[in-house]
Amino acid sequence: MSILSIGTRALQANQIALQTAGNNIANVNTPGYSRQSVVLQTVEGQFTGGGYIGKGVDVKTIQRNFSAFLTRQSTLATSTQSADTVRADKLRQLEGLFAGGANGLGASINDMLNAFSDVASAPTDLTARTVALTRVDETAARMRSASQQLEDLQTGISQELSQKVNNINSIAQNIANVNSEIARASGSGQSPNDLLDRRDQLVRDLNQFVQTTSIPADDGTVGIFIGGSQALVLGTTVSPVSLVQDFGGLTNNKLAINRNGVPILMDENTLGGGEVSGLLRFQNTDLVEGRNLLGRLTMAISTEMNTQHALGLDLDGNVGGDIFSPVTFGGSNVLIPTAPATLNTGATSLALSINDTSKFVASDYEVNFSSATAGSITRRSDGVVTNFDFAVTNPVVLDGINITKGAGVAAAGDRFLLKPFSTSASAIQREFSTPRALAVASPVVGQMCSANTGSLQQASLVARSNPPSIVPVKLTFINSNTYTRSDELPIPNTTNYPYTPGVPIEGTVPATNPLTQWSLVLQGSPKAGDTFTVSNTKVLDAAGTINLKLNAGNASAMMNLRDKALFDGAALTDGYAGLISQIGIRGQSANYAAEISTNLASNLEKDRTGVSGVNLDEEAAKLLQFQQAYQACSKMIQIAQNIFDTLMQGLAR
Amino acid sequence: MSTPSFARLGTANTYDSARNHLMERQAALSNLQEHLTSGKRVNTASDDPTAAAQAERALTRINRIKTDQRALDSQRDSITQAESTLGDVNDVMQRFRELVVSAGSGTHTSAERTIIAGELQGLRDQVFALANRQDTNGQPLFGALASALKPFVGPQATAPDYTFNGLPGQTMSSEVSIPFALDGDSAFMHQPQRDATFNVAVSTIPTTRTLTTDNVVVTNVATVAATATAATAATGVPYPVYTLAFTAVDSTTVPGTTTLTYSITETPSVTPLGAPAPFAPVTISYPSNSAAPITGIPGLSFSVTGTPAVGDTLTIDSQPSVFSVLDDAIKNIGGASNNNGAAQAVSQALHNIDIGMSRVSSVRGQAGDLLNRADRITDNQSKRSIQLEDDRSKAEDLDMIKGVSDFQNQQTGYQAALQSYAQVQKLSLFNYIS
Repeated sequence: MSILSIGTRALQANQIALQTAGNNIANVNTPGYSRQSVVLQTVEGQFTGGGYIGKGVDVKTIQRNFSAFLTRQSTLATSTQSADTVRADKLRQLEGLFAGGANGLGASINDMLNAFSDVASAPTDLTARTVALTRVDETAARMRSASQQLEDLQTGISQELSQKVNNINSIAQNIANVNSEIARASGSGQSPNDLLDRRDQLVRDLNQFVQTTSIPADDGTVGIFIGGSQALVLGTTVSPVSLVQDFGGLTNNKLAINRNGVPILMDENTLGGGEVSGLLRFQNTDLVEGRNLLGRLTMAISTEMNTQHALGLDLDGNVGGDIFSPVTFGGSNVLIPTAPATLNTGATSLALSINDTSKFVASDYEVNFSSATAGSITRRSDGVVTNFDFAVTNPVVLDGINITKGAGVAAAGDRFLLKPFSTSASAIQREFSTPRALAVASPVVGQMCSANTGSLQQASLVARSNPPSIVPVKLTFINSNTYTRSDELPIPNTTNYPYTPGVPIEGTVPATNPLTQWSLVLQGSPKAGDTFTVSNTKVLDAAGTINLKLNAGNASAMMNLRDKALFDGAALTDGYAGLISQIGIRGQSANYAAEISTNLASNLEKDRTGVSGVNLDEEAAKLLQFQQAYQACSKMIQIAQNIFDTLMQGLAR
Repeated sequence: MSTPSFARLGTANTYDSARNHLMERQAALSNLQEHLTSGKRVNTASDDPTAAAQAERALTRINRIKTDQRALDSQRDSITQAESTLGDVNDVMQRFRELVVSAGSGTHTSAERTIIAGELQGLRDQVFALANRQDTNGQPLFGALASALKPFVGPQATAPDYTFNGLPGQTMSSEVSIPFALDGDSAFMHQPQRDATFNVAVSTIPTTRTLTTDNVVVTNVATVAATATAATAATGVPYPVYTLAFTAVDSTTVPGTTTLTYSITETPSVTPLGAPAPFAPVTISYPSNSAAPITGIPGLSFSVTGTPAVGDTLTIDSQPSVFSVLDDAIKNIGGASNNNGAAQAVSQALHNIDIGMSRVSSVRGQAGDLLNRADRITDNQSKRSIQLEDDRSKAEDLDMIKGVSDFQNQQTGYQAALQSYAQVQKLSLFNYIS
């Protein structure tokens, strides 16, 4: 009867094969499903005198087609792709905040400075003054709004991050659960294909958020590690991750893994791929740079404008007040570590102030004390380390910022994070709206003797102190290239100073740094006896010799700020162009990275599905193949029946 | 039994990637469309950061030029006004001069001269008003380096009769601008050593004889300059007034030769410089029928024509401004009691008016230079503006031909992708299993 049993067994085997093909077809679109195939084997033959007689076919196992290598590669590539894509997306948003062209912040800054041209043309015209002040207000509003938009972007990212961290934790829990199921199922000797698929899919899902490493254990479970070596899932236990801050401040900027309730900080650079890493990287570098660039622009421009405005006299002869709200540094500019980071043990504090606006670098700084007074400062934007010793110089001047150490003793290992530019744009405001208070008159004026016979002309005369104290000063030319100064003591003035046309003559001898009093540039060739006198505008105004309301010297000086080298040597008006290109370069490189990693991921996914994916045509062919085999087996059973029937008929006769 | 072949494909992945590619093409197409409709190659800085910065900088400079041009227009307006005002001054002074010439006619009576003087007064007021003119923005046209709202003040009771309320000097033109104001001090105020505008008035001479002088010339510039400085330092008067009195005249002792003795009074007394001392009487001899050279006043000289007599006095005072010249002319012509006084006043006035007019003309010439310069600046700026616009355009504008052609390509590609997707998905073995 073996033919009947062979037939039945084959029928069953082929049915299983058909069922498997059907299962494959059914799961063609199921994410994470690995194509299964039936592994058939012959049943060991029966030994007889005539040799081994085959006993048919049997299903050995249902094989899950997958390549561990390709699966891992594809998962990693997808992880990198997630990180790059999310960063590129966010950078596009950041870029949107810094538009160029006639409607950008840059145009508004330029319009503001250009508006002083009309004031210079008509210093008594209150309309021109009001327009200039309105432009100032407009610029302040634009800076504030850009800052607000950056904060909005930050809020969005914080929310997204906390959501994604929750996802990581719940997926990690699911992996732990599947691990335990797989461990239980492993005892059966057959591989639990569907559970394995589920776990692989969960790992792939997890990698979308954060890159992981999987290490299989003997019991069929896998350990999931992040940040290089931190165990997120170990067998069936999960160490949840959370977002924390290393320095005080409002934003959570580090991922921490909590083992036994103790958070361990991970640097985002060790996290590899995944959206959380991408977002953290964007938040901690790109967004910080955007904020610093905007803050530097605001701080430098407002400080310069205020400084220049204070060198002018308003319509009532008063010294110009602040035109923008003055820069202040507070607690959010100097941050100290907060738990879970290692806290400072010393008792000192640091304070900031502006030293030189033209030396600003848009960056945060990390101060590390290695002793009570000395240590190093790391510029975060490029990692340049500068050593300091407060015992030698206090304040320490770095990149145009004074860092002053307060009372109290620092301990080795104490750290501070300096964010000098983080707050200036959010609080910037126009300080006054009275057009009369716009100080466009210069406190110093020049005067030539009417009896001059040379071709002397005044190219420029700018105030460096207000009110100037070294006035009046009369320059008397001995010949075409030397002169004496009336402020020299003792009288008579005997020192001959060299005169070169176009070379500034400073109010102090020797010139101070920074320059004080006034700077004069004369052109032309004087004759012996020619004089030039620098006088105090207010004194001459009081004497009725001139009218200071008609003077617009400081308006011209304000306009000249346009060419002042401020931003890494670029002119003030070009500062914004530098800003947008810097953000643009980040955006461009992020776009490239996202493009490349997307291509890579899609290629690797193609390779992975080349092994694990269901091909419908293949399954259709298999259906036909096994259907035929099934039909043949039925035929075999029918023949066995026929043989039996023939035999029975023979017996009946 | 299932050895994966090299070319095996997962069906779902095939569809996925086909769909992704379609989406990519669609995004590229829409991106191209955005570039086409905005006309810009660089829509966001990340499209081309360098070009974006270049375009931004070019835009900044274009706006800067616009601002500079606007300011220059305003400056040009002021200087044009100043130039035409000086032209008006010139015209009025020309008319003044003509009237002065007519007043010199010997047929005029003293009453007629008074009428002419009245007319002259009107012209003088015009010149003074013109000198204090302001531009449309209320800035004095002749404000020099800085000035009061009305730079010229006068006439004043004490010397100097007119002052320039401002700081003399000329601001330099820069590469993009010219000054707002001209040097009024240089145009209307006079310097004794430079301009030698002195007026010599003769005391009333009986009609039986004549006594006139020629114009004062500066013989020693340094002395005159030092005297002016000393006078200003001592009393604030720009230059001392000299009074000459003839104390002895002898034309008979030596026939054909006249010996003349005169005394000099200096007010304020500054000679010799720093230590005033009385002038010693000066005696000169000259041929009776020629002019008597007067050289006793430090740094100055002139000659006397006619018949001097004991008791005649000459008053020599400097005229610190063109307005003083006009005022003296009016006063002396209107006040001349006879033809001798009128002739003297007219000849002095004509000489000094000419000097004044040449000062005005020279400053007017400077204004012309400035206006030429403004034109050159405008030329340069518009050239630069065009160049910058070109730079900006090169940096960020889309080459339309290339843009349209790229768009067509992309469109064709997208169409082909859609069609092939539809075609391929029709192919399946299942279609043949009946």
